[in-house]
Amino acid sequence: MKLNEILGADRVVSGGTYTSKKKVLEDLARLLNKGASGVDANDILTSLSSREKLGSTGLGHGVAIPHGRMGGVEGSVGAFMRLKHPLDYEAHDGLGVDLVFGLLVPQNATEAHLKHLAAIAEMFSDEVFCKKLREAGDDASLFALLNSFKPGN
Amino acid sequence: MMDFVNQILFAAGLLFLVSILATVITPRLGVPLLFVFIIIGMIAGEDGPGNIHFADFRLTNLAGTAALAVILFDGGMRTSFKTFRVGLGPALSLATVGVLITMLVVGWLSSVVLDLPLAQGMLLGAIVSSTDAAAVFSLLSNRTVSLNSRVTSVLEIESGTNDPMAVFLTLGVIAYLQSPDTFTAQQFLFLLVEHMGIGGVLGLAGGWLLARALNRLQLNESLYPVFALFSCFLLFGLTALLGGSGFLAVYLAGLLVGNRKVRALASIRRFHDGIAWMAQIGMFLILGLLVSPHKLLTIALPALLIGLVLILAARPLAVVISLLPFRFPWREQAFISWVGLRGSVPIVLATFPWIAGIENAGLIFNIAFFIVLVSLLLQGWSVPLAAQMLKLYIPRTGARVKRLEVDLPGQSGYEIVSYKLPVDSSHIGRRPKELPIRDHSRIIAVTRSGHLLSYREWGVLQAGDFVSLLVAETDLERLDTVFKAKRQRADAAASRQFFGEFEISLEAAAKDLAESYGVKLPESTAEFNVGQLVLKFLPRPVVGDRLRLGHIELVVRRMEGGELREIGVRLPRE
Repeated sequence: MKLNEILGADRVVSGGTYTSKKKVLEDLARLLNKGASGVDANDILTSLSSREKLGSTGLGHGVAIPHGRMGGVEGSVGAFMRLKHPLDYEAHDGLGVDLVFGLLVPQNATEAHLKHLAAIAEMFSDEVFCKKLREAGDDASLFALLNSFKPGN
Repeated sequence: MMDFVNQILFAAGLLFLVSILATVITPRLGVPLLFVFIIIGMIAGEDGPGNIHFADFRLTNLAGTAALAVILFDGGMRTSFKTFRVGLGPALSLATVGVLITMLVVGWLSSVVLDLPLAQGMLLGAIVSSTDAAAVFSLLSNRTVSLNSRVTSVLEIESGTNDPMAVFLTLGVIAYLQSPDTFTAQQFLFLLVEHMGIGGVLGLAGGWLLARALNRLQLNESLYPVFALFSCFLLFGLTALLGGSGFLAVYLAGLLVGNRKVRALASIRRFHDGIAWMAQIGMFLILGLLVSPHKLLTIALPALLIGLVLILAARPLAVVISLLPFRFPWREQAFISWVGLRGSVPIVLATFPWIAGIENAGLIFNIAFFIVLVSLLLQGWSVPLAAQMLKLYIPRTGARVKRLEVDLPGQSGYEIVSYKLPVDSSHIGRRPKELPIRDHSRIIAVTRSGHLLSYREWGVLQAGDFVSLLVAETDLERLDTVFKAKRQRADAAASRQFFGEFEISLEAAAKDLAESYGVKLPESTAEFNVGQLVLKFLPRPVVGDRLRLGHIELVVRRMEGGELREIGVRLPRE
């Protein structure tokens, strides 16, 4: 998987302050909408929220990967948000989340797209990488960092 | 005369010390310990440099029986009722049907290969029909991975309960051989009922009485374990004198005592662990001494053949048939087949025909001995490899380093445990008292770089700290998860790969799960929640069990007292 096929520079933002998980998902849906213009932002939000009802998509150590499956999306679409302050996300380790990667996958061809999700989870499990993401200066360097990720760095 | 005594003491001291030292070295070589003990005995014996001539079958039988009684009592005490939930049914089936099938296959083959009458072949079959899992667990225990609890429960309970059956079959065949004309099938069945019935009843009654006596009697602290030991002998002897199975009785008694709140249980356990070790070592040394290695050579070929058929055909057949109603995954069946290690029981049983004066007793003893050697060597060595090849390892969850049970006056069920905080523990930087610990449990010490800190010096927790707690046994599992929070990176990766990326709530609707991951569910499960869905297909789950749904898998992450607690979803990978 190449991340730049999934993630565009306009879908990486940082610095937002949030008080609820719901608000994060709303903004994330809007962000994802930029890469999936064929669908409605509200439908994206519904998809992400219904996945969260199954259980938190928090990975632990401050990372969450909200995701959803949607008709009308061509390929996998990603978006990334770095929050200013860790937010309670009901993650299993109890830590607040400040790195949020959203992923939409199309209705069909699920296996390939679920593999994308697995690869992204793998990427964000690398704590050294997460530390770099937290230290990155602006949106552009965040985007560069995300695109340059190689496993084991 | 004094010289004789001194020589005995010298020899016993030397042999035990060498054996004990061997326990330090051999785990690293992966050699089964029992094999080493037996070899030490053989080296000390008539064909080795030790040149000790020992051929007393009666004494061996006495020592072996006593040792087995102690080992089974200890095994019973260490078997928790909790393991019964998934293990009891399959284990009992293996211990009865499985043992019988093993005997029939090996018995028939032996009579053909060795050109013996069928009944004598069956005698050999009965002798080698039970397994010894103690060796297996010692090989598996010191690893960073473990087996799922269904496999370990079955093996543990099986190895404790199949010995009485093997003893019974051996005695039954001997009874037939002694008077083949008058011995009938009814008698055989009657013998079975008598053996197991008396053994079972006396075992349960004896265990109950022993537990009560330990709680009522005011004894010197050191006498409780000794009291338990000789109660075990008394129970064994009494049961056997009345025609019951002493082995079954002491196992059941141990089981009852070990699972009840009994005073001094911790020291009884520790004492009996030591005694069981001594019994194990002593028995194998004596068995090694007893055999005449040069006689083994003459029967090596047929014995090897019988041994291989036992390992490769009889045991797998017995496992597959015994486990048929329980529908075990084939990998687990294959592993349980491979772990059919033969230990001391066959050799001790092989002294029975000698004492009974059965024809060909010498041949049968030597063949049984050889089969045990083959099994210990071939299977004992390869058990970890087999578990790996069959992909049965699950990442170990927990950071617990040391566990020590203590007796509080007037209390039991408490333990002192220590945890080491790994470098990336999420508790680093927290104050010890912020740890989520329930009321009854408490932190009693924090040790940092080798120093026990006074309460005021605790400060915040650092990597490498040892936290020691006094905990209620019922709280242990939960504390393990508290302390495992975030392990080392490699472990975490392995763990995530195994247990799945995300946690799924047990209460979530199954159809929402299906919708989110594009899975088709059977009609009948449409209204289920995720927990019910898992239980429908995995009725008796253990940690590590998987349920495949389309491209994803649900993995059992955590169980608590037989209840499903946590499920993970595992995504497909490149």
